[in-house]
Amino acid sequence: MKYDLVVGLETHVELLTKTKIFCSCANKFGSEPNTNCCPVCLGFPGTLPKLNREVVNFAIKAAIALNCEVNLLSKMDRKNYVYPDLSKAYQISQFYEPICKNGYIMLDSGKKIRINHIHMEEDAAKLVYKNGDTYVDYNRGGVPLLEVVTEPDISSSDEAREYIEKLQMIMRYIGVSDCRMQEGSIKCDVNVSVKPEGSDKLGTRTEIKNMNSVTFMTKAIDYERDRHIDLIESGEKVVQQTMRYIEATNSTESMRSKEDAQDYRYFRDPDLVDIILTNEEIEKIKKTLPELPDSRFKRYVNDLEISEKDAALLVKYKNVSDYFENASVNLKIPKTVANFIVGQIFRTIETEAEKEKFEILTTPEQLNEMVGLIESGKLTMNLAKKAFSKMLESGKPVTEFVSESDMQGIPPEEIEKMCKEAIESNPNAVKDYLSGKEKALKALLGSVMRQTRGRGNAGEIEEKLKELIK
Amino acid sequence: MISREEVLNLANLSKLYLDEEEIENIRKEMDSMINFANEINSLDAKCEKLPEINNISNAFREDEIVESYPQEEILKNVDGGREGFFYIKKSN
Repeated sequence: MKYDLVVGLETHVELLTKTKIFCSCANKFGSEPNTNCCPVCLGFPGTLPKLNREVVNFAIKAAIALNCEVNLLSKMDRKNYVYPDLSKAYQISQFYEPICKNGYIMLDSGKKIRINHIHMEEDAAKLVYKNGDTYVDYNRGGVPLLEVVTEPDISSSDEAREYIEKLQMIMRYIGVSDCRMQEGSIKCDVNVSVKPEGSDKLGTRTEIKNMNSVTFMTKAIDYERDRHIDLIESGEKVVQQTMRYIEATNSTESMRSKEDAQDYRYFRDPDLVDIILTNEEIEKIKKTLPELPDSRFKRYVNDLEISEKDAALLVKYKNVSDYFENASVNLKIPKTVANFIVGQIFRTIETEAEKEKFEILTTPEQLNEMVGLIESGKLTMNLAKKAFSKMLESGKPVTEFVSESDMQGIPPEEIEKMCKEAIESNPNAVKDYLSGKEKALKALLGSVMRQTRGRGNAGEIEEKLKELIK
Repeated sequence: MISREEVLNLANLSKLYLDEEEIENIRKEMDSMINFANEINSLDAKCEKLPEINNISNAFREDEIVESYPQEEILKNVDGGREGFFYIKKSN
């Protein structure tokens, strides 16, 4: 029997605010343990949390970018549980009236992954386990999170990967999160179930907690799907439970079953007041949003005639895409700029993390100047490529590496002379060309180009050669 | 009256251990609390929607850093912690 996989994702995105969600401690990764803490984020009795306005602004930005509605009235709730990562014994979250609802992310196939809602909440402390003992660092306690919850619309691990990568990209574009999996600034809980192919009835689901790598997430989904199918095929039942993924063995194990399912006893947090927003505020924030990656991608492909492959590489990181935008200002053929970025610049960058930062010595203005010279016919592509390698190493402008005489080009009479010489000294190539071997002309062209030290325009020289041979 | 099972469930969720005598006492105490709160239901209230009790909303804070407490201060109540962390020994 064939089965359909059904997956829903709950993604926690850590926000790039300066301070925590309910107190003024710094929201900073990598500090000495317990140095960004105060009585509020340690949950001391008698302290009063106060909501960071920027968290609300970021939630609104996320809502707009993920095609959600913003709830004009939303509230904070308490989620009760007892665990050392949460000293208050409750997490402040949104349960009954979250700030955003009903959005979607569109996959490349055109399929919409619907977003049920997005809510704001505080992160819990970080637990470090050593020799069976537990060490607690409250620096992360109270860091603002957005939790983005999808409908069970995802039907393969590839779709899950694409959804997460798109979510990461959008969050980075709008500047609300850096979404670094390795630093835990984006984490996923994955709900998995299977059902007979085409059936409307959902199967029993299991939830895999805390996935912090896209690769492991896809592996966990595939493993869990196969486990469910094996259980059903052998006449057993899938038990609703929470699972943990074990990287070393690529398998999952049970954390807790439904019997001791968490009973969070959510209720309205009486310490925090209603959040009331207006459409005017939302419109104002909408105007501050940059062009989103999907829109840029379409523009690059349709208007600028950049290949889909290169356009995808450009929009993947906002810094790269912004660099391209700045380096293309007032140029006739921005595609040339794209070629230099995807070709020469990317070759000097080794890791994805460096691509994301995109800290290179050559400024977009310098690349713009160089491509401008190509467009005005003053600089040949060949010379430009050589100069650009040196520009990337030094950070110096193109004028440092090409002389005035290089840019003036070579007088036509000199080109003609060089072509004649090439024809005379390569009679065999001429014979081959005349007998129909088009390729033979390339040998002649190469010879002339060497003579010009790369300054010649290959198209013009080729025309001249053809003319002279006839 | 609140059942024995309900009390045990709440105790379990709160990680509390109760002996037999305490269970019975807590049943009685919780019952009197619930009855007290239930008096509200006896009121003939016509208000359609309860307004925000303090009549305030949007009590926001600007996103500006204020210096946190020193690590020693944070860990003072737990005998200084260990290596800058709160420390929880493995239970046997």
